[in-house]
Amino acid sequence: MSLEQIQSLLDLSSKFLMVAFLVYNVSFIVFGIAVLGKRWSKRDAKSHERRWGTIGLIITIVGLLSQGAFTGLRWVANGHIPVSNLYEFLTFFGMMIVLAFVVIYVIYRKPLTGLFAMPLAVVIVAYGAVFPSDVKPLIPQLQSIWLYLHVSLAALGEAFLAIGFAAGLMYLLRTINFKERSRSGRWKNLGVEVTMFSLVTLITFIALVFIFRGVGYHAEFLQKVVEKDIKTNTEFEVENIVEYTLPPIFKPHNSETVEMKPFLGLKEPLFEAPSWLKGVNAGRKLNTIVWSLAVGLIVYGLIRLIIRRPLGAAVSPIMNGIDEQDLDEISYRAIAIGYPIFTLGALIFASIWAQQAWGRFWAFDPKETWALITWLFYTAYLHLRLSRGWQGEKSAWLSVIGFLIIMFTLIGVNLVIAGLHSYAGV
Amino acid sequence: MLNNTKCECGHQNPVGTVLCEACGLPVQQEMLESDQPLEMRYEGAARRSQKSNPNILDRVWNFFSSVKVAVYLIIITLIVSIFGTILPQENVIPSLDPPAYYAEQYGWFGELYHKLGLSDTFGSWWYKILVLMIAASLIICSLDRVIPLYKALSRQQAKKHETFLRRQKVLYEGSVSNADEWLERMEQALRSRHYRLTRDGHALLGEKHRFSRWGPYINHVGLIILLGALLTRGIPGWYMAQNVVVNEGETVPVPGTPYYIQNIQFTEIKEIGPHVSGQQFQFAFETEAVLYRCVDNCNNPLQKPVLEEVKRHTIKPNEPLEYEGYSFYQIDYNFNLRPMHMTLTLQNANEETIGDLPIDLNNPETSYAVGDMRIELTGYYADLTSENGVPASKSRVPNNPAFIFDVTHADGTTESYFVVPFEQFQTRLKGTGDVAGLSFELTDMEVSRYTSYLLVRVEKALTFILAGALIFLFGVVIGVYWQHRRIWVRIDGERLIVAAHTNKNWFGLRQELAKILTKTGVETDANSLDNYGVTKQ
Amino acid sequence: MVMARKKWVQVSILIVLIAATAYTIGTNLSAGSAMPKVGDKAPNFQLYDMDGNLHELKDYLGKPVVVNFWGSFCPPCVRELPLIQEKYEDYMESELVVLGVNIGESMVAIQHFLSDKHVTFPILLDKDIVRRQYGVKDYPTTFFIDAAGTIKQIIVGEMSVGGHPSLDLDIAIRRLLYG
Repeated sequence: MSLEQIQSLLDLSSKFLMVAFLVYNVSFIVFGIAVLGKRWSKRDAKSHERRWGTIGLIITIVGLLSQGAFTGLRWVANGHIPVSNLYEFLTFFGMMIVLAFVVIYVIYRKPLTGLFAMPLAVVIVAYGAVFPSDVKPLIPQLQSIWLYLHVSLAALGEAFLAIGFAAGLMYLLRTINFKERSRSGRWKNLGVEVTMFSLVTLITFIALVFIFRGVGYHAEFLQKVVEKDIKTNTEFEVENIVEYTLPPIFKPHNSETVEMKPFLGLKEPLFEAPSWLKGVNAGRKLNTIVWSLAVGLIVYGLIRLIIRRPLGAAVSPIMNGIDEQDLDEISYRAIAIGYPIFTLGALIFASIWAQQAWGRFWAFDPKETWALITWLFYTAYLHLRLSRGWQGEKSAWLSVIGFLIIMFTLIGVNLVIAGLHSYAGV
Repeated sequence: MLNNTKCECGHQNPVGTVLCEACGLPVQQEMLESDQPLEMRYEGAARRSQKSNPNILDRVWNFFSSVKVAVYLIIITLIVSIFGTILPQENVIPSLDPPAYYAEQYGWFGELYHKLGLSDTFGSWWYKILVLMIAASLIICSLDRVIPLYKALSRQQAKKHETFLRRQKVLYEGSVSNADEWLERMEQALRSRHYRLTRDGHALLGEKHRFSRWGPYINHVGLIILLGALLTRGIPGWYMAQNVVVNEGETVPVPGTPYYIQNIQFTEIKEIGPHVSGQQFQFAFETEAVLYRCVDNCNNPLQKPVLEEVKRHTIKPNEPLEYEGYSFYQIDYNFNLRPMHMTLTLQNANEETIGDLPIDLNNPETSYAVGDMRIELTGYYADLTSENGVPASKSRVPNNPAFIFDVTHADGTTESYFVVPFEQFQTRLKGTGDVAGLSFELTDMEVSRYTSYLLVRVEKALTFILAGALIFLFGVVIGVYWQHRRIWVRIDGERLIVAAHTNKNWFGLRQELAKILTKTGVETDANSLDNYGVTKQ
Repeated sequence: MVMARKKWVQVSILIVLIAATAYTIGTNLSAGSAMPKVGDKAPNFQLYDMDGNLHELKDYLGKPVVVNFWGSFCPPCVRELPLIQEKYEDYMESELVVLGVNIGESMVAIQHFLSDKHVTFPILLDKDIVRRQYGVKDYPTTFFIDAAGTIKQIIVGEMSVGGHPSLDLDIAIRRLLYG
């Protein structure tokens, strides 16, 4: 295949992704109609829900097929399954979440899950789109069928665990008394608010990146780093070019501005990243994190000002009339389905692949260790639920924490901790 | 002193039994009088860990048998593992002096991290103790529960006490006019849902998917096998991991084994030309290798070992060379020009070629025969340099080889030459006979372009580790995706009691029972079967 | 009695677990770091010398041993060689054993190098095995091992007499012999 053909396949695939993304949003609205429109419908609630729920399911499947086309075209263009950078993996993960949702929906037929699962998938796909989509050739160790099996099954397993999170969050929103003044009540409210704040921050971050990318913002720095060669015990200076897509609040440590587009009248970076942050991209990552948190805080604050209540309390009324036992059951079932798939994909196939490619099936590198940590957590979840009777609210909290751990495993380890597994960052 | 554990149905229960093994009536007064659903765990059988007056052995047993303790152990392992990812561990840092490295790179935090032992979290003895404790918990938890459970389930009877039935979480009470006829319909309905039936007069037990109860115990066994397999690494010969560096053309020994590995040729395939990303990139690399076994003169550095070829293979990432439990993996490589072999052609004073002198630069022979001369290599500097005017060698790598040859002619005359081929320099050191001497010319050379880094591994435990993992998965799947369901029917005269129990997915059980009962003509729905309204409060 | 059998099962399981624990800790503690440290037992090795005789470190138990890792391409090793020979002769009555372990050079190179030098203590030929065992990365490195086989001192770098005390060969030998 010629370069032009490959490029045109990639371009075509992106269009399918766009379509899928829009369709997912439509299905989210349809599920919203199914759940919330009950009160205004002329039909009786149950058949209204069922009708709109089925429409939602069909639309979701259309979106899934479209994203399937995206994946397939990219596969053909690359010559291997498209999960080799964060862009590809996160969009794939989003697709798996939609798939897992469809499975759960077919079993339980509860449109409410769509109201939370679809936005989750949308956010994940959008987050993926933040990262560069450049196709890079695979290093030889990655050219193995175990790659396909490991990453795809791990993503599918994590997708079910994510649905478990969505249902668990819904449970908390449904059952927590936001007016509760007691100590434990306040802790719970705080917990829910922190979760909502994290979601707001994530969405804000995604929006920020797209806005600045849309206006073509660019800044470049020339960084000088002193490195030490352990073997010869000499020091030498390395020059790095660091590129920013967000306006620099923090410029890289010990760097000069090569080029910087002014932002809000700011022509120079405000601060410099401290020297104790290691890594070439440390300054950029710090900048990104600070931006996300700061604007996230502002957006969150604005929302709070407007609605004059904690976000959790504001969203909670949607859930009235929902059977929380069903939510608990769905959350558990999703996790129970996801756990074996996750074990097989993220641990067993990963070890088989590692043994074949690097001659060692387990070396406790950060990504492997965090996969183990995730597995240990869900093992504890299952024991607590099945043997210690931790059902209902306790189980819901665990599913939220579990998702946090998964997110850290996928994103945090890549961006913060370097290792064999690192994908590129923003 | 044995408590009186004889049930009113006539059966003698072991001490510690919660529900009578025969009829299910609660043994203890408290449980009998309560209005809570029955404690059905482990069929109400007596577990070893529930004895009174525990001695030290029992206390230890009880400790490890507790699920609460197991969960604590899992959480502690989890948290400790998180700490182990904060900073790179000792096995990957590019330094031979860990305390200094952590202090230098990460300051006071690094120093503290190292002092606490966190810089080698996963290799430390306390981490291994944690894992061992989990293993202990796995073994003891399972034994403590699976044996009584198995016995109880194997011995269970169809006819249960009314109290037992009425205190189940799923219950239907009603009346039937014709018991036998209804039971026929019930049996049919149950069979159509794949229940296995046991009939005892007007009592009926339908059971399905009992195998799923063994799921957790099977998965524990899988984990025990996996952990046990890891322990076998200590058996001599079961585990080895070491790096081997081979230059092209070189044959090196694998330390600790009778094997030698030869790098015939290393290939780095760069696909030069456009990739859609616009990059030139390294597409593949491989070592064409030969594995030899040493059969004689193996440890004597004074003599060349006698090698016998045993396997040929092109080693690439994802394609190791495997032989008799040893695996050679291609890990990395380096572009590294290094002369390996050179041929010097001798010419006499008349510029006639006398013969060739082939020299292995890594392990040169000492005696050579060229033409009718005998040549002894008496001096060799691998990397010639000058130390205060005196020739010396800078390193072991033959970057600039220099030789001292003692030549003995056929007529008995001797001479000595100092030859530095790369500098095209030679000088006659001493000699008898003709003054005009020989000249040494570099006519051929073999250079290694690449150094190949291989990893040699022996891991006999691998099949057991994989087996353990797959058994674990099997146990999880049968435990999670199927549920053990039982439906008891009891008719006394016209009074009908139907009760049911499952280990999970009560909602599904109620739905199924509702469908079954509807088939027998009893109209009911899933929600009304819920005896304790656990779902609807 | 059924009870007794169950008790036996419990006891045997706990014994297996304790054994596994002891074994694990044992191997963990003894699987030392790359380089044996002062206070560790000197790892045993077997090497041939230039005349084809096999030397095993264990054979020298009961005598103090100095093991010097060197190469002819290493100027500080070359410089200290005569000093080592001198001390070897001085302390011969005290039964001091000196072993010079050459790091992977060819026989020719070593023979030629030693041909004009007066070295009488055994030169052992190592092909990277003992070097790895002893974690030697820099040359020269010298290990001072007492009669019981314990490493008493490790000196990395060129040794001398009268110079820096930590590199003083005489002081090191005396400490080895007399404590």
